[in-house]
Amino acid sequence: MASEDEVNLLVIVVDVNPIWWGQQAQREPQFTLSKCLDAVMVMGNSHMAMTRTNRLAVIASHCQDSHFLYPSKSWRTGDSGGDDASSSGDGKYELLAVANNLIAEEIRNVMSRTEVRGNSTDTLLAGSLAKALCYVNRVSKDLEVGQEIKSRILVIKAAEDCARQYMNFMNVIFAAQKQNILIDACVLDSESGLLQQACDITGGLYLKIPQRVALAQYLLWVFLPDSEQRSQLVLPPPAHVDYRAACFCHRNLIEIGYVCSVCLSIFCNFSPICTTCETAFKIQLPQMVKPKKKKLKQTM
Amino acid sequence: MDEEPERAKRWEGGYERTWEVLKEDESGSLKATVEEILYQSKRKRVIESHGQVRLGMMRHLFVVIDCSRSMEDQDLKPNRLTSTLKLPVCDIMHIQCKVICFVSPSGNPKKHIAALKKAVDTVCVGEPSLYNSLNLAIQTLKHMPGHTSREILIILSSLTTCDPANIYEMTKVNIMYMLLTFLICSTDNLSCSLNVRVSIIGLSAEVRVCTVLTRETGGSYHVILDESHFKELLTLHVKPPPTSSSSECSLIRMGQYRLENCDFTLVGLSLGGYFCPQCHSNYTELPVECKVCGLTLVSAPHLARSFHHLFPLEAFIESPVEELQGNGFCQACQGELKDKSIFTCPSCRSVFCVECDLFIHDSLHCCPCCIHSQTAS
Repeated sequence: MASEDEVNLLVIVVDVNPIWWGQQAQREPQFTLSKCLDAVMVMGNSHMAMTRTNRLAVIASHCQDSHFLYPSKSWRTGDSGGDDASSSGDGKYELLAVANNLIAEEIRNVMSRTEVRGNSTDTLLAGSLAKALCYVNRVSKDLEVGQEIKSRILVIKAAEDCARQYMNFMNVIFAAQKQNILIDACVLDSESGLLQQACDITGGLYLKIPQRVALAQYLLWVFLPDSEQRSQLVLPPPAHVDYRAACFCHRNLIEIGYVCSVCLSIFCNFSPICTTCETAFKIQLPQMVKPKKKKLKQTM
Repeated sequence: MDEEPERAKRWEGGYERTWEVLKEDESGSLKATVEEILYQSKRKRVIESHGQVRLGMMRHLFVVIDCSRSMEDQDLKPNRLTSTLKLPVCDIMHIQCKVICFVSPSGNPKKHIAALKKAVDTVCVGEPSLYNSLNLAIQTLKHMPGHTSREILIILSSLTTCDPANIYEMTKVNIMYMLLTFLICSTDNLSCSLNVRVSIIGLSAEVRVCTVLTRETGGSYHVILDESHFKELLTLHVKPPPTSSSSECSLIRMGQYRLENCDFTLVGLSLGGYFCPQCHSNYTELPVECKVCGLTLVSAPHLARSFHHLFPLEAFIESPVEELQGNGFCQACQGELKDKSIFTCPSCRSVFCVECDLFIHDSLHCCPCCIHSQTAS
């Protein structure tokens, strides 16, 4: 039982890549973006209903930018949208109703407003995670005296990884590890090496869902309990993480390679000059072994 | 002996009127001044960029912690030893001056942290010996390959050092002079042939032997003012130092491990372990140098952890909050901008609050909005 002094913050980062979701709507019409967001809202409501001090934030990760679906700025400045929601009349806890309506409205704005430019089709996941970390940092600084915070980030990933985001992703992962923030990953389509590494390093859970229609069940079963309760549950086993790095010259995954001691770039073959930092390397010459004069045995 | 420009000591200057910093406003309250002081202390860490300087990324660092009688002094709570051992150190080797506890060199921070926790209970007796600890460190450091930087960090709390000084005849020579020349001979040894950089953090007061030692070897010598200053000084040593021109650059052969489950291991009892790709020997922790084939085993995150030193983030431009047009929200954390200044990233022109600026430069090392514009282009 969590005490009143402990705030549990869950940040859900949803991948709303319009290209992937558009193709998905044609592949499998019974699981579309709106169904996915319904499942996310169920998860968010359950989290907030567990304890009064639990908090929620939802970020939509698009190809152009990341947007905070909840809490949104217009709500905080006292918009009139809150008054309509409070009179929903079905006895729902007011906060949950407000949250659901806000999320639905914001995602409609995001998807209609943002346009996709031709050359940027990858989801900006590293940027969304960075904004999530800044938000968690602000919430932890704004707490009252005596309150502690435990936070985690849940990533729902649809499209494939973007290799260009590797460095930013690793920075985000190490920052999360330093702040003791878990990163969980729920993958809908193809396996993601970056998210596997993130979950392994920060101590979160990685799961690729076999049936997308049952997304809500998987979210509630695997990702709703927080880190203390997870040790007492039987959850999916950790995935085998492929930690091989790609060499800088060919982008192949290698097991044994050469690392420049100045700029830490990885190469698959030895070369006398590092292409990244243009340092000339000292080549170890084989040592000359002087022939030893053998003492002739005195045969006498 | 040696003539170096003598810095003016603090007691030689005039009186410093520190009380004049506090000013009252019209209603007689100090609130504005206190807030200003707190704000300045948040921004105190000057973000220097060395520019195009080669940094020594691979470092072998020895940390020597003084465990002599003076560490039981209570001016740092609860006593100096506990306070020192609590502070963050990472990727270190550990020697204690007086106690025969030695942790073998490894890159894994967990082992060092465990050894440090155990060392809290050490009884502090006796006198420290600078010569002995330096000797011990040099014996290990001189076998290290040339492309790594060799450093020693000494945390010294006593004002004296008790060394074997059996070289000179005991004539009318002053013992302090003898010790000093002896140490200078050994520092010549250090700086010329071995390129070892010695840095010292003093807990009591400035000691001349330490000044000379650090000056000759190119390290830094600081004496702490209080606990937060101590923490800041230790954090300064986390950044990789610029390398000297005589260090070699080489291409190091490294392997990435293959992780498989196995039924047993001989070193410790654990399920699974890391296999060297060349000789298939099993290890329980990384990074490690394979004892069978000599290959260094790392995993990609270990290398990626240091990348932010190579590509440092630029400092953000500070400007008063009144100049902001448009809505007053920080673009990283979506909070309202209620501090007295805002920070703008020079490349993407997005606006951040004070807390986000500190967080981005200390932990995140990348601007959240630049990431969006980079990958979108």
